[in-house]
Amino acid sequence: MPYSLFWVVLLPIVLGFVAYALPKAGDGIARGFGVVVSLFELLLVALQYGSVGHQESLPWFTSPWTAAFHFGSSQISLLFCALLAVITLAAAIATQMPRTRDFVAQLLLLEGTMMGLFLARDLLVFALFWDAMLVPVFIMLVNWGEGTAAAWRFLIYNGAAGLGLLLATAAYGILAGSTDVIGAAHAPALAAHAAWWIFVGFAFSYAVKTPLFPFHTWMPDTYTASPAPLAAVISSVQSKSGIYALLVIGFGLFPQEMHRWAPLLSTLGLIAMLYGAFVAMWHNDAKRVLAYSSLSHLGLLFLGIFSLSQFAIIGVLVYAVAHGLFNAMMFLVVGYIEQREGTRAIGRLGGLGIHNPKLGGAMMIGSMALLGLPGLAGFAGELLVLIGVWGAGLHWYAAIALVPIVLAAVYMLRVLLKVVWGTEVPDLPVRPDLAWWEILAVAPLAAALLLFGLWPNLAAPAAHDVSTAAAAGVAVTVPATVSEATH
Amino acid sequence: MGGYVQFVQMLDYQALLPTMIVGGTAVLVLLADLLLPRRIANGTAILMGVLATILAGLYGYGSYGVHYLAFGGSFVLDGLSVVFQEIVLLSTLVTLLLFNRRGESEDRPAYVALVLWSSTGAMVMSGAGSLMTLFLGIEILSLALYCLCAVQRNREGAKEAGFKYLVLSSTAAGFLLYGMALLFGATGTVRIASLIHPPAGPHGLYALGMGIFLIGLAFKLALVPFHVWAPDVYEGAPLPVTAFMSVATKAGALAALARVIYTAIPASEAHWLLLPMFIFAAASMLVGNLGALAQTDIKRLLAYSAVAQAGYIVAAFAGATEMGIRSAVYYLAAYAFMNLGAFAVAALLSSEREEGTQLVAYEGLAARRPLLAAAMTLFMLSLAGMPITAGFLGKIFILSATIHSGYWPLGVILVIGSAVSFYVYFKLIRAMYARVERFSHPVAQPPSQLPWVAVAICAVAVIVLTFVPVMPGDATFFVK
Repeated sequence: MPYSLFWVVLLPIVLGFVAYALPKAGDGIARGFGVVVSLFELLLVALQYGSVGHQESLPWFTSPWTAAFHFGSSQISLLFCALLAVITLAAAIATQMPRTRDFVAQLLLLEGTMMGLFLARDLLVFALFWDAMLVPVFIMLVNWGEGTAAAWRFLIYNGAAGLGLLLATAAYGILAGSTDVIGAAHAPALAAHAAWWIFVGFAFSYAVKTPLFPFHTWMPDTYTASPAPLAAVISSVQSKSGIYALLVIGFGLFPQEMHRWAPLLSTLGLIAMLYGAFVAMWHNDAKRVLAYSSLSHLGLLFLGIFSLSQFAIIGVLVYAVAHGLFNAMMFLVVGYIEQREGTRAIGRLGGLGIHNPKLGGAMMIGSMALLGLPGLAGFAGELLVLIGVWGAGLHWYAAIALVPIVLAAVYMLRVLLKVVWGTEVPDLPVRPDLAWWEILAVAPLAAALLLFGLWPNLAAPAAHDVSTAAAAGVAVTVPATVSEATH
Repeated sequence: MGGYVQFVQMLDYQALLPTMIVGGTAVLVLLADLLLPRRIANGTAILMGVLATILAGLYGYGSYGVHYLAFGGSFVLDGLSVVFQEIVLLSTLVTLLLFNRRGESEDRPAYVALVLWSSTGAMVMSGAGSLMTLFLGIEILSLALYCLCAVQRNREGAKEAGFKYLVLSSTAAGFLLYGMALLFGATGTVRIASLIHPPAGPHGLYALGMGIFLIGLAFKLALVPFHVWAPDVYEGAPLPVTAFMSVATKAGALAALARVIYTAIPASEAHWLLLPMFIFAAASMLVGNLGALAQTDIKRLLAYSAVAQAGYIVAAFAGATEMGIRSAVYYLAAYAFMNLGAFAVAALLSSEREEGTQLVAYEGLAARRPLLAAAMTLFMLSLAGMPITAGFLGKIFILSATIHSGYWPLGVILVIGSAVSFYVYFKLIRAMYARVERFSHPVAQPPSQLPWVAVAICAVAVIVLTFVPVMPGDATFFVK
């Protein structure tokens, strides 16, 4: 199909605007529309697996440098696109809020912008979608979030990071003559000091968006303030945009800078792991526990990437998918709980498993994946990353990284034991268990967790797109696809 | 350079034709007002103004690529003059569409004539090849604007605005004239392009003259620290006039500045002679955006924002590179559309009694007037430099120009200023989209739907310019 990748990006965006034409009062219609569109989008992404390596490009401008609306599918892009499509679908099903129509519209816009990000083959197009992502999230936060302070924080932090990315992209375009370089077989070589500065700009932006330890301060507030479906999407997929960028743009265009910065960034990853895990143990707000656990887990991804081990990259990809799945699941489940009981304070909740066994079960599966139960994707990813880190000679890092992984069991079981199996709180009203569609939202996520847990090799083809090698003086990239190599 | 005498040819008048069409139409509008009955005079005035700008714009477009020194170099026809004249004409056209309130329609032909004359002045500035022509343009522009600012006498702040603008603009004119006199004394010429040969030996007089002259231009551009008049004047002037001032006046002054920077300043002197200008630009990017933070009136907010935006554009001139002027032109065009669009939205939120410029008028707009809110969001995103708008691409171009010319610190300051500006523009987006339990402000019924045309033109342009970034390419920008 011609321009099928353009359609993957444009369909949710166009239909997101179309959604505003739906009747304002018809919450059911709007939700149905969202579900159908995101299901169709998932189908479109799945169809792309039939033609991996497909490229589409429309010229944009040639002065002051060459840029093109260039989209291309590769295994790694499609992996993240599929994750995004699945989680948006789950979020659309689980959407239950006033003014559903507007929410669904913004959710679809967000999906479209993130699809563009993962499929972009031009740094400027990448930056464009990177910034565009902020708008729907901001609008959703001020509309359905808890207080606008979190929305501002999110916007200012990520906006500043986006501007850093813009400056670095402009510098890259001027110095290299073209930004149409993501996944290209022969990336233009830059002068060493220029590459240093440009990489700093890129890495700063990625580290804020993911986020990495000292740049994370916007994140707990944003996740806590977000309504459950939004929290599911941004904590699961938006956080992966930085990871994706490091793997594809970092290793693809700046292999030497990745090596140069590896000691600092892997250490920051380790600090994030420890810091997130310790803070998560003390919070009473279930969403905050999840936010800090997320910080900890994203630290593991940074550690895996900057161990520069080809082996760890497979683990990073498996864990990125796993983290996306269980995080989305947990945020949705906490959303269900909050909707029922009117609180998500762990101290106020207890014994939900007795009257709401389905809810309890869903929470248990999510928690088990989160704390790394063998057989589920979280475990497979953690193990692969740790083996990779150890194999790269970073023995101390691997050893210390075990601490937060054990702590994950501590803070997650604390929540699970209290909320699901704890003694019943007498004044807590008994509410109906999960409805069928609420289960439908989280069940595919659980199934995918099991699937990736048993066959982590599903992510291996995507790992081939990433080369951690960097020969001295020469930028080495592995062509993303056969067609590119022969091109 | 009075060395040669040139007969004035037909071609000289042709170069001036778009300007004369606009200026001449202003006279015709007043005549029509005299002859026609009141009932149709108002509509006719607007129609004549619109037709004149379109006609002049088409004629100007046709002469794009022609290079000619008219009247012995006093008026220049080149890429720069044509592009900037088109931008002036565009803002004039949009301004005419915004005159829709009763207070403004009492004497509409007079308004139209004044706007057209003001526009004439800006067009003369765009093509000014000598200091004399430049001063003439500035005075034509300003005289009409003094009246326009103060014309609604019973409006609060109108007299203050008019008076403030009169005093400060005259001060600026004084600076300009004094600088020009010193430059003439130092070099013996008033032709801008001839200033590039500074006198041999110590040339303190030349430097002083150029410095004072540039300060005069900075006044006109409202660059920091010469910006304090802008918010008050913008607030006090009627909405369409504010829209006109924020684009046309700036375009005229920027054209003059560009011509001076690119053709009149020797490359060997540029780095120190222009340094203060770029410090002003850097300060404008920061102070403009910081000043806009606390504003709750759209006109004041956009006044501060205009200070910052002018700073962005001047930053592109740094190093006098080809890429710089192209980026600046692109950004100015984008800025014209997004800023005029925002004012057009405000005009549609104006009622007979008050202008829709208070932030409170925008609360919950997305629920009440979704299309209008979407348009305003687009303009705000563009002003903030967010995708997918022309402002995004414009900012990228200016950033790349500053990196290319080696003035990258300006790029860094631009980024910092833009980060601050997020709060400014998203404040409006938040007001429009955040949930509102009870609307405290009624939706205004605008007296005319004409500004919708302006909104549509601007919205389409802001999006189209992103995907088809027309960078004026084939024509030479500066004919010396």
